Amino acid sequence: MTATVAPARQNRRRIDWTNVAMGTWGVLMFAFLFAPIIVIVAYSFNTGRLLTSWNGFGVQGYTDLFDNPVAQSTVWVSIRAGVIAALLSTTLGSLAGVALARRPGRWVPIFMVVLTLVLVTPEIVDAVALLPWFVRLGTDWGLVTFSNGLVRLVVAHSLFAAAVVALIVRARMQGLDESLEESAADLYATPWNRFRQITLPLMMPAVLAGALMSFTLSLDNTIISSFISVTGNTPWPVYVFSSVRSGLRPEIAAVSTLMLALTLVAIGVVGLVLRRGGESSGGIARTMTGA
Amino acid sequence: MSDEVLASPGVRRWRAPGFMLAVPAWAWFVMFFVLPVGFVILLSFGAKPDIFRPYSLEVLSFDQYAKALDPAYGPTLKNTLRVGITGTIACLVIALPFAYWLAVRVPPRWRGLLLGLVLVPFWTNFLVRTIGWQLIISPDGIASSALQQLGVISQPLNFLYSRSAVLLGVVYNYLPLMILPLFVAFDRLDPTLREASKDLGASRYRTFTQVTLPLAMPGVVAGLALVFIPLMGDYITAEVLGGAKGNMLGQLIASQFLSAQNWPLGAAMAVLLMLSITVTGLIFALVGVTVRGVLRRRRRIVIDVLEVAA
Repeated sequence: MTATVAPARQNRRRIDWTNVAMGTWGVLMFAFLFAPIIVIVAYSFNTGRLLTSWNGFGVQGYTDLFDNPVAQSTVWVSIRAGVIAALLSTTLGSLAGVALARRPGRWVPIFMVVLTLVLVTPEIVDAVALLPWFVRLGTDWGLVTFSNGLVRLVVAHSLFAAAVVALIVRARMQGLDESLEESAADLYATPWNRFRQITLPLMMPAVLAGALMSFTLSLDNTIISSFISVTGNTPWPVYVFSSVRSGLRPEIAAVSTLMLALTLVAIGVVGLVLRRGGESSGGIARTMTGA
Repeated sequence: MSDEVLASPGVRRWRAPGFMLAVPAWAWFVMFFVLPVGFVILLSFGAKPDIFRPYSLEVLSFDQYAKALDPAYGPTLKNTLRVGITGTIACLVIALPFAYWLAVRVPPRWRGLLLGLVLVPFWTNFLVRTIGWQLIISPDGIASSALQQLGVISQPLNFLYSRSAVLLGVVYNYLPLMILPLFVAFDRLDPTLREASKDLGASRYRTFTQVTLPLAMPGVVAGLALVFIPLMGDYITAEVLGGAKGNMLGQLIASQFLSAQNWPLGAAMAVLLMLSITVTGLIFALVGVTVRGVLRRRRRIVIDVLEVAA
């Protein structure tokens, strides 16, 4: 009796080494991906004068923020630029995405080439292209708006983001049947009502994902911002980048921790909205990455 | 009848401007992408007339390209290409088993959460994550003191501001850009194809190399491009983790624009950067297509032999 049971049990217990190896690799990967983030969060409680040398545990980094108007103003600049850039790129990108999915024509391939070029151009090339361009527009041609730091940041951050939003919205709309809009038209809905009551709710998850993506892309942008930013409108990452050379202070880790918390909430909200819209995890990944 | 006549122009007025919705985005991209990039290409043929003006377009020449290709900058271009290619391949090797595990082996109910976790670093500030690595690998950092306490090393870790540190940084920073397209590619695959391969007696290794991987190729190609292109233009990782030693083309371009104020030279370097990315991409594409052709040919012969034998 026992003799017959034993091999079966052994069989069931036999360890699938490929699976174990892959699982271990997965755990290691998550440790690798999160190591610097955990370190930044931990070091935000460093009481030392410099971030790099650990002194002791305390919330000094957070309280020092209140006495640092420069850091505060850079965070504020980043948030303002992020919100405006997100609104702008979401509007431009959503309209373009709907047009790409619903109004096919000879213009689509040309537009897709431009979109792809915007997406694949390295950030540094955008940066070196925009700096002389803004100087030309603002100084040489007298369009003073383009000498304004906030305008420059918004314009620069909206380019890549608008292209991403256009692709996300296009992917969403292509997956949806046009018959709903057609039947609304057959029922004498005006174009505006059709858009507001049918198209907009259908594209909403993609628009929302795109908007949050644009906002975080803007908050994250360092390369282009460091080229085009104007004194007085320095965004947060450029301030951090300049203090990499002059000496990092614990406030930087503190603000980063707060921003990380904000990002986590944002990802959670988008994930929840998309899941409520009935998306699978693969679908969510596709929507969020625009693939 | 009269109703129809009245209705049709109305319908046409809505239908006709089909691409109108895309016009604002069009205008935006032309104004702030196409024209500026065109202008910077023009700028690369210009000159720096004196120390006060950053550029002049009075005389157009290839002078700046000659300067940018000066042997003095050769090592930087070589180093950029080396970091770019090694970093991209390292990302692929590291991400491939991970993305496969995430898309195929992990139970579906955990998949969404784990994928969300991969997205967290992707959405955390790039610069801040790089500074996190600086804190870990600096001589008085965590890794150094841990290794010293374990007795692995007797002196503080001397790793920061080296080329390997830059490589670690870029692999870390661009890894999510490789994981996501690979995950999407594996996730899209029909599991029945793998089962069919197994039923036909193929080993796991063969199923992976001859069924799964070829079908996931679009994801691999997308990942390679998504990592390689921004990596080549990166100068932040090199600046934070490489210091003076991590010389990348991006740092050189930035210094021409931000400190030397020689815009034409910087523009020429930027054009060369784009050219080197394109050429490398084309070479890899050519090699890829050739390898695929050879593999297909070899497999076809195997099938012919089987048919003859039957």
